[in-house]
Amino acid sequence: MKRAAVKATSWVMLLFLGACAVPEVKTEAVPVPDAGRTQVVLMPDPDGKVGEVTVRNRGGSRKINQAGQMAEAKDGTSAISTQAPLAEGDIHKVFGAALAALPKKPVIFILYFKTDSTELTEASQTTLSSVHAAISDRQSQDISVIGHTDRTGEKSYNVALSRSRALKIKKFLISKSVNPSIIEVDYHGEADPLIKTPDGVAEPRNRRVEVTVR
Amino acid sequence: MRYFFGVLCLILCLGTNAVAASNEEAAIVKNCSGTAFIVRQQRTLTVKKSERIYSGDLLRTGRDGTLGIIFKDNTILSLGPRSELLIEEFHFDPSRGKLSIVTRMLKGTAAYVSGVIARLSPQSVRFETPSATIGIRGTKFLVKVEDGGEEE
Repeated sequence: MKRAAVKATSWVMLLFLGACAVPEVKTEAVPVPDAGRTQVVLMPDPDGKVGEVTVRNRGGSRKINQAGQMAEAKDGTSAISTQAPLAEGDIHKVFGAALAALPKKPVIFILYFKTDSTELTEASQTTLSSVHAAISDRQSQDISVIGHTDRTGEKSYNVALSRSRALKIKKFLISKSVNPSIIEVDYHGEADPLIKTPDGVAEPRNRRVEVTVR
Repeated sequence: MRYFFGVLCLILCLGTNAVAASNEEAAIVKNCSGTAFIVRQQRTLTVKKSERIYSGDLLRTGRDGTLGIIFKDNTILSLGPRSELLIEEFHFDPSRGKLSIVTRMLKGTAAYVSGVIARLSPQSVRFETPSATIGIRGTKFLVKVEDGGEEE
């Protein structure tokens, strides 16, 4: 009887074990020629600048840095090849659907504050109204408000000050009937300056709240 | 034997739950059309606009599906039809120096515009495919990964 009970417990535990296991994503399908072959095409950034991408595998690495240029990895071990820029039409044939689904770049507003204060500078009070306009324009459901300070004063004091600044902006947005549940507040104290300075330096450009409207 | 299973199960469950609890919110869905799913902890969820995406999520589009998301660091990513992409790792905590964004594309087509993490710490950004790793320096690119050949 006892033995049966032990067995039963073990089976229950085994079942449980199965249920607890982390889901394994099966990626390897039946080997097919070209499966996993990767093509990478560099595009100009939204602001028109062309960056750089490095594609590497066990066969080596290649850089591409021209708009429309393509790098291709046949598999994980063969050397990577590069190709002259593709025609726009060819890019759209393959990537048109993905490109059409690409969201607009989020807008970022920087609001500046008076020294050791949660009061906005006059210029930033105007910016604040554009923040509200951008939220309605994009029908945004995701807004992040991050508070910062410069490096005068104690670190811990600055963490608290950056929090108060961020909360002040959140409160303003709520007063303009933005849904509070879509506003995420964070604060970085003096740790994330726009302008790097030594400790103790007053820097008006670091006394800020950054609002990202996605 | 009994203890073995018991202890093993406990360890595994604690481990799994710890992972689940620590999964960081990574992105939000901005655009979607046709069939698009999120596979999260063995459950398949239909994607809706404004849906939150967490690290560990697998994004999947059907033959008519597309999906566009914005990460917390303002990285922008979209998938064309018949695509699969795993958000393998995402940390965005500049004040603690914790930054990483690792995505793994299994098949299909994607467009990618890098965000703040690529600017602050390019080595913390990785885009993996079955045959290559893409390193990014503040830029926009497109990726196509050939499927295993099985048609849906």
